[in-house]
Amino acid sequence: MATIVSNNSHYKDELKRKNSKPLLWIALVSIVMFFGGMTSAVIVSQGGGSFIPIPMPIGFTISTYIIIVSSFVFHFGLIAIKKENYGLAKISVVLTLILGLSFVFTQYMGWVTLHDNGFYLTGKESTQESSFLYLITGLHIAHLIGGLISLIVVLVKTVKKRYNSDDSVGYQVSLTYWHFLGGLWVYLFFFLRYSIA
Amino acid sequence: MSTHHTKDFLFTYIFSTDHKMISKQFLITGFLMGFVGLIMSTLFRLQLGWPGESFEVVELLMGSWQEDGVMAPDKYLSLVTMHGTIMVFFLLTAGLSGTFSNLLIPLQIGARDMASGFMNMLSYWFFFISSVIMLCSLFVEGGAASAGWTIYPPLSALPQAIPGSGAGMTLWLIAMSIFIVSSLIGSLNYIVTVLNMRTKGMSMTRLPLTIWAFFLTAILGVLSFPVLLSAALLLTFDRSFGTSFFLSDIYIGGQVLDHTGGSPILFEHLFWFLGHPEVYIVLLPALGITSEVISTMTRKPIFGYRAMIGSMMAISFLSFIVWGHHMFLTGMNPFLGSVFTFTTLLIAIPSAVKVFNYLTTLWKGNIKFTPATLFSIGLVSTFITGGVTGLVLGNSALDINVHDTYFVIGHFHIVMGLSAIFGMFAGVYHWFPKLFGRMINNKLGSLHFWITIVSSYGVFFPMHFLGLAGVPRRYYTFSEFPMFENMVDINELISVFAIAAMIGQLVFFFNFVYSAFRGPKAPMNPWKSNTLEWTTPVEHFHGNWYGDIPTVHRWPYDYSKVDANGEFVYGEDFIPQTTPLGDNEKDGGEH
Amino acid sequence: MMTIIVVIAAILVVITASQLLKLAELRAKSKGELIYELTQEENKAQGAMLLLFFFVFMGFFAWQIFAWGDRLLPVSASEHGVATDFLMALTFWVITPVFILTNGLLFFFSYKYSYDPKRKALFFSHSNKLEMIWTIAPSLVLTVLILMGLSSWNQITTPIAEEAEHVLIELTGQQFNWTARYAGADKKLGRSHVTLIGGVNGTGVDTNDVNSKDDKLAKGEFHLPVGVPVQFVFRSLDVIHSAYFPHFRSQMNCVPGVVTQFNFVPTKTTKEMKALTNNEDFNYILLCNKICGAAHYNMQMDIIVESQQDYDNWLAEQKGI
Repeated sequence: MATIVSNNSHYKDELKRKNSKPLLWIALVSIVMFFGGMTSAVIVSQGGGSFIPIPMPIGFTISTYIIIVSSFVFHFGLIAIKKENYGLAKISVVLTLILGLSFVFTQYMGWVTLHDNGFYLTGKESTQESSFLYLITGLHIAHLIGGLISLIVVLVKTVKKRYNSDDSVGYQVSLTYWHFLGGLWVYLFFFLRYSIA
Repeated sequence: MSTHHTKDFLFTYIFSTDHKMISKQFLITGFLMGFVGLIMSTLFRLQLGWPGESFEVVELLMGSWQEDGVMAPDKYLSLVTMHGTIMVFFLLTAGLSGTFSNLLIPLQIGARDMASGFMNMLSYWFFFISSVIMLCSLFVEGGAASAGWTIYPPLSALPQAIPGSGAGMTLWLIAMSIFIVSSLIGSLNYIVTVLNMRTKGMSMTRLPLTIWAFFLTAILGVLSFPVLLSAALLLTFDRSFGTSFFLSDIYIGGQVLDHTGGSPILFEHLFWFLGHPEVYIVLLPALGITSEVISTMTRKPIFGYRAMIGSMMAISFLSFIVWGHHMFLTGMNPFLGSVFTFTTLLIAIPSAVKVFNYLTTLWKGNIKFTPATLFSIGLVSTFITGGVTGLVLGNSALDINVHDTYFVIGHFHIVMGLSAIFGMFAGVYHWFPKLFGRMINNKLGSLHFWITIVSSYGVFFPMHFLGLAGVPRRYYTFSEFPMFENMVDINELISVFAIAAMIGQLVFFFNFVYSAFRGPKAPMNPWKSNTLEWTTPVEHFHGNWYGDIPTVHRWPYDYSKVDANGEFVYGEDFIPQTTPLGDNEKDGGEH
Repeated sequence: MMTIIVVIAAILVVITASQLLKLAELRAKSKGELIYELTQEENKAQGAMLLLFFFVFMGFFAWQIFAWGDRLLPVSASEHGVATDFLMALTFWVITPVFILTNGLLFFFSYKYSYDPKRKALFFSHSNKLEMIWTIAPSLVLTVLILMGLSSWNQITTPIAEEAEHVLIELTGQQFNWTARYAGADKKLGRSHVTLIGGVNGTGVDTNDVNSKDDKLAKGEFHLPVGVPVQFVFRSLDVIHSAYFPHFRSQMNCVPGVVTQFNFVPTKTTKEMKALTNNEDFNYILLCNKICGAAHYNMQMDIIVESQQDYDNWLAEQKGI
């Protein structure tokens, strides 16, 4: 009976298929509001006047290219899955994972550059701008780690051929989130480039 | 069966993914937190009513927070802060929205459960952990957070400024961050469930107003809570890691701090961008519940269903562009102040529409005064009484002299505190049969209502006079000012009412516990209501309906619908949403 | 001891109440009644009580006005305060009738339309005309209030032009006292910064600045000349404070790292106000109105408003930097 209905796995799969995308979209809205809060904090705190501009580290620029490329690569995988070409899909997910890790690495290099140039996250020497720069990029990485975890899950499921041309919701959810992270980074990059750096 | 007994118990009562159980968990945790908040308010009312006198109960409950039964000034501020935090967030956000969104969304839209039962469970457990941490913060060195529930830095950032800003504040921030995560996960789920899981025939314009209210509340939460999270994060960095987002040019305890360049005003902006929508996160569910209760109990359709939805939408939208009215006196650009005055006073229009619609719903009704009805009528009354003084506070020129006085305390406790808690009580009384399968005692219910409304008006109404006499809020005592000497008896009166209000709530707690276990068994549809939750069996099981989920054929407010001869259309004064439309019948309140 | 007695008494009350409830239920059951259903008499009684409550509530309201009306702030002692007091009174004349009328209708309807099985409720679900009326009517009233409010707000917040005759005072808040600094003869305040605090220089005035040479400091109380515009600038050394002058209908936050300003024209001397309020002990007062720490409740400063002559004499006696 009904007790069985709600416990049966078919019903649960159905729920997942139906709801995971809308859940993700609304979660993205709240992440947008979070970063909106952070970036408007930058704007409000700069209303005061002068500040020392911070040269944007080259690492951040490189990472921008990397994340844009990774978005395309990850997307090709979906096309491959729709054609049930699992070999190609696997390559695309692995490549995205590598690009994602390189993004983290280039960001780290960016922070090293900042630190070497005398811009600190905290402490007496730090300015509001330098703190914001570290914090906002760091928060983006924190969200990206979630994306990397989902990439690993997707990779396992691709290897196990869990997706097919009819059912690739899991892949799509991860892909949407990855695109979002890319878009978010591009926004943050240009925002920081023109407000702080 | 018995071999899996412990496992069953664990998954039925503790780690349940069933929305009805999660709803009960939210209700009980919320009420327990609310009770703590209530006791706190009684304790500081003792101090305000009889400053400097010693009380055995203060000595008993507050340990080293007092000297000879008299509480210390900074502990008074701790109590005020924790009272505000607990009441606003833990009782009226999580307790109210968490309980009724969880209970009613699936039941009233015709779904077997939430979009994601697992996330729903997660939402509750985050809330629970957050509550525990918040309570733990009472016992750390330096005491609980004491910078006011609005935690403005630098006071909240510097333990040198007040002891509560040490470990107590750290725990406050941790607890609130977890709370925000809980609230976000919950809201995500509510929104998607309403959008995606409605049964056949349940269009958006056939949703009960409760669901509309919960839906809009969840949207407000998703949009505003992340901003508070960013404020909390920046504050944490300032406090613990030496950044200067909010701090600048500070000389305290005989030394100049390293922080330069920050501005506390930034924090106020971020805080109130959440803080004002938060008022409506608290209020809208209560208004939704009231709409449903009033319509059912007057046996009349709610007047102006679409206008009600429209006004709730207008209120939700406006709530995002009025936050500046909390900051008129921060030296903000006067033009900006004018803009915020304008947008703030605009909110009066949809609010007035709602009030008049409630009044018209009562007009020529056939009202049954269950405790739920009484509390709903109480809500309309407090919404009016507290709402009208908003015209004073929202007007920047007038705000100057009553800002941060008891006038504000009176205003928001009536319009937001009382209205929301009355709505919550109305909901508990009305859906008690659905929650516990038993009926709650009516006589004790109305006794509870009468004590509550009389004593709560007795507490908050005189505060307007205090405010107009210039009495500031968050003062430990007024004995230092000759000009406030003649306020002593007013404060005493308020405190007497506050104690009465607390005792009144004991009646409720007794009734609640007694009826949940020993009340008479509930029938399926005790209030002869139209909505879908009353088509489910009284006993709870995961999935809500045996067999298929019913199809919906009409809006939820066909009460006392008569045909051309003046007879009830189906012989009864209510037509459930599952009844198909007759041949010549129109939907949505048309004849 | 008292506590134990109270606890035992509470337990006894709970047990008795449970037993009584159970008894009542059994009796109702034996008579074939449903205990949770309201009888018609009970329903009528609740309706009547709601109406009664309305009268009690209004009585309470009237009693408060009657008993406490004279405890409110006395007439405004500043020029703009007269205008805002008028606006305040106007607002109250608008909202009080609305408050009484709508509450009255609410409780009257509750009484009038309590349940009667012989009557049918009216199926009345919407009326565009009515809804238009109660959208437009509040809008019109609000327009008036908003416009009047904004015009006073603009007047109040405009700083005094530098060349106009005025007194310039800097008020600095810190836990838990106030310091007033007068600009002196050059009408300019010297620079100040927290890093310069030390010894007697409690607010960090830059003593090398020419403008600070003739600045005067006052603590505990400060004086204002009657009838002359006073331009205040506000600073804070530690946490946010708020300088609240209830008798002058003025208030402004003091924010560390930010300078805020406010001005008003005192119109009544302390002596005049003493006569007006019939209170020999009357004193103007400045208090802190933003939670600022444990002794927030006692962060105050006296204000004396006096004639220009007395004010000049007083100022001459004050210490420089």
